[in-house]
Amino acid sequence: MQEHYNIEIEDLKKSLMRMAALVDEQIERAMKALRDNDIEVIKGIKAKDLEIDAYDNLIQTQCENVLALFQPVASDLRFILASIMINNNLERCGDIAVNIAQRVKKLTGNHQLLVESNLVEMAASARQMVKDAIDSFIGRDSQLARKVLQSDDVVDNLNREAFKYALSKMESENILIEPCAHLIVLSRQVERLADHATNIAENLIFYVEAEQVTHKKKLAKRESI
Amino acid sequence: MENTIKINVENLNLYYGKKQALNSISLGIQRNTVTALIGPSGCGKSTFLRSLNRMNDLIDGVRIEGNVFLEDRNIYDGDTDVVELRKRIGMIFQKSNPFPKSIYDNIAYGPRINGVKAKNELDEIVERSLVRSALWEEVKDDLHKSGLSLSGGQQQRLCIARALAVDPEVLLMDEPASALDPLSTSKIEDLIFELKNNYTIVIVTHNMQQASRVSDITAFFYMGDLIEVSGTKKMFTTPDNKKTEEYISGRFG
Repeated sequence: MQEHYNIEIEDLKKSLMRMAALVDEQIERAMKALRDNDIEVIKGIKAKDLEIDAYDNLIQTQCENVLALFQPVASDLRFILASIMINNNLERCGDIAVNIAQRVKKLTGNHQLLVESNLVEMAASARQMVKDAIDSFIGRDSQLARKVLQSDDVVDNLNREAFKYALSKMESENILIEPCAHLIVLSRQVERLADHATNIAENLIFYVEAEQVTHKKKLAKRESI
Repeated sequence: MENTIKINVENLNLYYGKKQALNSISLGIQRNTVTALIGPSGCGKSTFLRSLNRMNDLIDGVRIEGNVFLEDRNIYDGDTDVVELRKRIGMIFQKSNPFPKSIYDNIAYGPRINGVKAKNELDEIVERSLVRSALWEEVKDDLHKSGLSLSGGQQQRLCIARALAVDPEVLLMDEPASALDPLSTSKIEDLIFELKNNYTIVIVTHNMQQASRVSDITAFFYMGDLIEVSGTKKMFTTPDNKKTEEYISGRFG
């Protein structure tokens, strides 16, 4: 029974690793396009996302099977719950990589806007967050996961700055209204990427330390009011 | 939290001859709650359960040290009336064991021994006990049929009714559903949940899911030691002891 259970868990871990690797690759491509204004690199990115979607379904089924057949408890249960959540967030990261790639394509003639708005810097931060979140999951490293949580504010601030920058450009130059609208959407996508990295890190902490850190800051703030 | 402890066990040591089976167990069992005792075979959980109404007295070579207070009385005091004690602390065993008598007589047996003679009073006790054990609706028209004609699950509920007939305060259950099919098990579990409103229940079970479903408090025994006791939700999500986590996760046992 225990051996049978371990086989199922190892299979689930393998699926999650493969999915995480795929998502990481997709984000890297989208980020390279964003950073270097290289749209060659994002060719086929949408088709590749289908592989991530297939893993999403597979992992969901694997988690469902483990719950139905083995009724895990304690850290085993937290692992499955965290896997369901992390799977969901990885899948969303995959979608966002495609969205970023599509927006970058629309901004190829205005790449200087990405540089001036600090979006390139913001994207690098978000990219590092996703990488660290995935690494923390692979290495069961809750310290690294906590580092990811701290980075989220940096990205949020850069997003606000990018928004302000885009608004001021739109006000001053009519011709930049459309590219700046794309810029705002792109910035929002990058910010969402960082949010999903945060979610992954929070779920890893829940699994490893049995501590719920999700919404903790907001709820503490509400209590203090 | 005053007066919530129904049975207080202090430094209980139990020896089968030279072999020590329980090592200085201290545990407060709260009233109107279900306490589940879990642990691998031979860990001492059934021995502990049986020591709560002195069933181990019947085994040759058993020596017991320590105190077990039922409210303010130590049940191991020399002047304890063991029959009276077992009336207050009833027991349900793994294998249902109805007497080869009618359903009615199975339940009326205890009250009759205790001097209840009036038919109307016995009728009332039989009905009340069967209602409480969730068997009344199924047997009310067949009270004079043999208890042995019932199904396994019904026989176990009959035994519970029989235990309830003498108005106990505590029910000890030693794997009460391990020989039953899932539907009968579910009925027994619902019944346990219902009964805790009026009784203090201690249940030994090998079925981890059963412990997590029916109990409020779980105590984990291992090799004669009480390793950990805590609220069942905590026990099955974030146990403090590594050994507990390994056991409830099926890593050994």
